[in-house]
Amino acid sequence: MRLSRRVVKGILGAILVFAGLAMLAGFEMAEAQRRQAPALPVRPPASAPAPKEGGAVAQAERQQPPQPVPADTAPRESVQADVSSRSVAVTSSFTGTEIVVFGAVDHSRQSTAESGLYDIVIVLEGTPTRLVARRKSNVAGIWINTHSITFESVPSYYAILSTRPLNDVTNPLVLRENDIGFEYVRMTPVQGWETGVTTAELQEFAEAVVRLKQKDGLYVQEEYGVVFIGRSLFRASVNLPANVPVGPLDVRVYLFRNGQIISTYTARVRLEREGLELWLHNFAFRRPLLYGIFTVTIAVGAGLLASAAMKRGAR
Amino acid sequence: MNIYLPIAEMSVNIFLFLGMGGAVGFLSGMFGIGGGFLMTPLLIFSGVPAAVAVGTEAAQIVASSVSGAIAQWRRNNVDIKMGTVLLAGGLVGSLLGVEAVKLLRRIGQFELFVSLAYVTFLGVIGVLMLMESINAMHKVRTGKPASVKRPGQHIWVHKMPLKMRFHRSKLYISAIPPLAIGMVVGLLGAIMGVGGGFIMVPAMIYLLRVPTSVVVGTSLFQIVFVTGFTTILHATENKTVDVVLAILLMIGGVIGAQFGAVAGQKLKGEQLRFLLAGLVLLVSVRIGWGLVATPIDEYSISSIVGGRS
Repeated sequence: MRLSRRVVKGILGAILVFAGLAMLAGFEMAEAQRRQAPALPVRPPASAPAPKEGGAVAQAERQQPPQPVPADTAPRESVQADVSSRSVAVTSSFTGTEIVVFGAVDHSRQSTAESGLYDIVIVLEGTPTRLVARRKSNVAGIWINTHSITFESVPSYYAILSTRPLNDVTNPLVLRENDIGFEYVRMTPVQGWETGVTTAELQEFAEAVVRLKQKDGLYVQEEYGVVFIGRSLFRASVNLPANVPVGPLDVRVYLFRNGQIISTYTARVRLEREGLELWLHNFAFRRPLLYGIFTVTIAVGAGLLASAAMKRGAR
Repeated sequence: MNIYLPIAEMSVNIFLFLGMGGAVGFLSGMFGIGGGFLMTPLLIFSGVPAAVAVGTEAAQIVASSVSGAIAQWRRNNVDIKMGTVLLAGGLVGSLLGVEAVKLLRRIGQFELFVSLAYVTFLGVIGVLMLMESINAMHKVRTGKPASVKRPGQHIWVHKMPLKMRFHRSKLYISAIPPLAIGMVVGLLGAIMGVGGGFIMVPAMIYLLRVPTSVVVGTSLFQIVFVTGFTTILHATENKTVDVVLAILLMIGGVIGAQFGAVAGQKLKGEQLRFLLAGLVLLVSVRIGWGLVATPIDEYSISSIVGGRS
């Protein structure tokens, strides 16, 4: 009897302690929400979209006439490229894959692969997705998520490969205009983002997103990842990890000379679920009720099978 | 050899997860427990998203409880009426629990609540079991007979309205306490990814005074149906049930349980409880450490699966 009382009291006590902790956490959350800061976008919104290809090229011609090249009559260089596989199947045995990006500079004026007249920068960008970034703080000894920002769209995957470090290739302005580099990844917070965060903190959140994505192997940079293998031919390879989110990957190839973009080329890699993987995913998301019943049926079947096997074993 | 999990969206080593299922199955066979409270934290530690761990573990508990429930049923150790009342409460609790998971995920506090629930419940139960088993071992050594818990004494639980007669348990008590117990168990099961036997069994023995012979069978009866229901709800509401992961765990668990049951017969009851208490406390301390230790990175990111909800 003494013991039973103790057990009952213990269980009731546990429920009370849990409720208390839950209330404390709830209070802290409410408090965090009260400290709401004014909403300020971290970077100029998409109202003035960066002048892509055409604009950049025009600017390049205007600002910097090609100095060391004497032949004015020679045709202008352009870049063409493609990827080793345009579609990648994500199946049950998917453990990542290697994508090779290769291409050529038409009308190349460099004499050898090593002359370094041109720079190639390749950006692989996954589908923009919604993402929540959260920050923990220590509340009464426990680490709790207290601040959060929802980003409307963050590229699910982002790889930059270049012939040289980006800062040697060109200036930050050009990088920013073309969304090249981790600092310039397009990341827009949701309108009136939720808990109290200042603009400086928003910047920290954006940096944390890049850092965490890097840790997951989803944001990668290789400063010497592109190599010329002839006066016009170049090649780069990137390893997509197993956790790469499915969806199309946009591949952008930039040809630089003297720090200016003189030509661009785009390609696309499609990452798609296939086979059993596709079937199960569709099943789970399109017919969730049936999928749930299916899973429970398998579980019951496994249990019955085990029980039958046990009986036979005992006999 | 790796396999890609369709819902968890990660590539995992098949043998690692089969082994995990086997190890937990071994312990559950040895101690006669469901093992959810070991499996769910283990899945979370190995990188499976907490919500997927909880949803998938519900499916595995169905598999591991079914054979036990059938065995008890054959021996007529199930009080169906009591089980049905517990089940009714359990279904309501499960419904509330799955909604709570949905809400907590949206505000980013799910991991915290799972950890807090584990630390509090496992901590308290581990300490109680440890004290009880040390007491029992001491009594065995000093030669005193272990105290036999006698049903029959009336406590406040028995003074409630809505009385029902439970023939199999030889009880005439109010339906409210079993309903409430079932609900708490269903709620915790849905949030923590456990069957809830570790709460239901002591509650039935000490609060309801159900005879020990029918306690295990009746609680297994309730667990099979409630976790089955919880699995379906997690699949429809949260889309967090990974059938491939569930199958891996089931295979490992079923095999491990056979060996565990053999090992368990070689140990005395109080020794088993002492070991189990130690294990429970270990899990509790490990999860508690995760709450108080300075995180490697204060920031975390998560995608919003299934849109707003």
